[in-house]
Amino acid sequence: MTHADSATPGSTGPSRTKGQGSSRRPDTEGGTATLFGPGSQFHEFFNDPRWALAMVRATVLEAAHPQIGAALIDNSTFVAHPWRRLRNTFLSMQRMFGDDDHVRQREAARLNRLHARLNGADARDRPYDAMDPDVRAWVVATLFESAVTMCRLSGQPLEQQAMERLYAEFQAFLAALGDEAGHLPPSLHEFWHYYDRVVEEELENTEAMRIILYKLFDHLPAPPLLHGLPTLWAAGRAIAGPVIGAITVASLPEPFRRRAGLPELPGAQTLMQGAYLAVGLARVLPDGWIQADTISDLLSLSPDSDDPRARSINALRDTMNRAGALIRLISPLPPEPTPTAQGATQRSAEEFFQEVLDQTGNGWLDWPDLAAMARELSSRLDLDEPEETQLYNAFADWWRELQSALDTDGDGRISAEEYAAAAASLAGPALIKVAEVLFDATDKDGNEIIDADEYRTLFRTAFQRDTAGTETAYTRSAFIKDFLSFMTGRHRTSPYDPLLAEA
Amino acid sequence: MIDVIEAARSAGVGWLSLYAFSTENWRRPNAEVDFLMRLVRRVVRKHAPLLHARGIRCRFLGATDPRVPVALARDFADLMTLTSRNQGMTLTVAFDHGGRRDIVEAARSLIRSGMPADAVDEHSFAAHLPFPDTPDVDLVIRTSGEQRISNFMLWQVAYAEWVFPPVLWPDFRAPHFLECLHTFRQRDRRFGSVLPHQDGERRP
Repeated sequence: MTHADSATPGSTGPSRTKGQGSSRRPDTEGGTATLFGPGSQFHEFFNDPRWALAMVRATVLEAAHPQIGAALIDNSTFVAHPWRRLRNTFLSMQRMFGDDDHVRQREAARLNRLHARLNGADARDRPYDAMDPDVRAWVVATLFESAVTMCRLSGQPLEQQAMERLYAEFQAFLAALGDEAGHLPPSLHEFWHYYDRVVEEELENTEAMRIILYKLFDHLPAPPLLHGLPTLWAAGRAIAGPVIGAITVASLPEPFRRRAGLPELPGAQTLMQGAYLAVGLARVLPDGWIQADTISDLLSLSPDSDDPRARSINALRDTMNRAGALIRLISPLPPEPTPTAQGATQRSAEEFFQEVLDQTGNGWLDWPDLAAMARELSSRLDLDEPEETQLYNAFADWWRELQSALDTDGDGRISAEEYAAAAASLAGPALIKVAEVLFDATDKDGNEIIDADEYRTLFRTAFQRDTAGTETAYTRSAFIKDFLSFMTGRHRTSPYDPLLAEA
Repeated sequence: MIDVIEAARSAGVGWLSLYAFSTENWRRPNAEVDFLMRLVRRVVRKHAPLLHARGIRCRFLGATDPRVPVALARDFADLMTLTSRNQGMTLTVAFDHGGRRDIVEAARSLIRSGMPADAVDEHSFAAHLPFPDTPDVDLVIRTSGEQRISNFMLWQVAYAEWVFPPVLWPDFRAPHFLECLHTFRQRDRRFGSVLPHQDGERRP
């Protein structure tokens, strides 16, 4: 579920072919287009429920790569906001593997800009760079290999021809991102050598991998749809979390498991094969019952959205809420140490820090947190250059302002305590500038007013202002005022909550 | 208490309100208030499934004071959510309720709504009270031999009949309730006019 944001894309234009020596690689011009869209091997997998397990597995293998692991730890929001992340990944995959070439090129350029911003050094000062072509090739390799493994483990191994076609599609995917040929081996036969070598020599037991295996599924926040049911969600998660972890570990390559010291759980192999098999059977369900993108869409639909589906979702939520209320009322008494007051319009500085500011969920406010906000906003608004860079720059200036105002111990990042101590005085000029730039980016037609369509693009919902009917547009000053009151943690019930705070 | 609720339901009462805790009760000693809160929480949780199974719709009047413990407020909210679709008797528990405060709140809400002074009448004013669908109170039972209103639903009791059984509230059971109901049926309700026996049978 992480690959798009974790580490992939390449440099600029497509097909900078350099010594594209070897044999049957689909060439970057012409040939690729036919590899995408309906009818492709990938397309068949996209709505396959086994794909979910395969994606988790691929993500673990990516995270075990030291460079990717470091990039994930520093930048990814998948621990704090996994559902939003999942939705973005699906959308991105759909664009990359769809049949519209123009959409694909635009998405590739967007992914490349996004990943060009992800670089730094890990805890041991080894540099990482999401644009490193070998790293990007490894991401694609894990996706391909996990798809193959998913078929094998569920007892329906791919035939050689299908496997080769799938490999060609994934090579084309990498090429569409603009990467030179040669980082993935040209033939499937050579691929397995390459794969085994990376597993054997490069993968490590990284922190990011441990987080995915042991922490993410144990702490996975409820998707927006199930927010009213924390108890039920926690109960289900307590069972499913460790199982998913065990299944994934059991499906990892044996040499890596041995070297990384991953525990061998008795029965996990059988469980894993059973799970793949059982999920595989769900494919027999009629078309449309399982639409991975529809499901990820629904899960992240926010309750007050005016999406027509939201009505039935709300009815469902209503039933779920009553079920949740009953469960809480009949559960034996001293279980919960006083839950925090839900639904209050004010939130404490600590809550705001945790729910909104700390996007990567590592307990600190740092540049990657603000970059994640810029990333989320620019994908929502589908920004091109130069607006995207302007937005990032505005966030960067805000970060410098925050740092100089709040980082009292000078360690380069801001702790929840440092934030809470100064939270009241946050609306500096740089934050106002962020609001201005965001307004300009949202106001696509530049008429100084955000109309209903522009508003919907940003918040995925219609206007919900008090004086409904008279208010048909959102002015610059009102927009900036609302943005500031949200960003300084003063108001909870604003449309920004589903955008930046929810999972 | 559950005994009385059940008696009311089977006697065909559509709306039953209980006065559990008044705003003024916060002035009692802390330890006593704490004990009361814990007691209420236990009672609410114990009876929630039963109330729901009987199709009773539960509401809490007041209960917004920040001094109400968070856990208890959560239970109140849960019980309201759970039973919100029920069609049977509506049980309103006045908890931390003050009749005057409700009227003041309604006045505030009315002023905020910007209604011109001349347009305000009893009906439009009542629409700003909490749970405006609550009908006027027909009968108030004040136990323990006390004969005071004690700031209870002041607006709604305008034409209520009152009975004052001497029995203490903890001992008040279904037979007492039915007795009060019987007394009520004997009353000649005129709603301020002079026409006798308008809505009941003739008194013996």
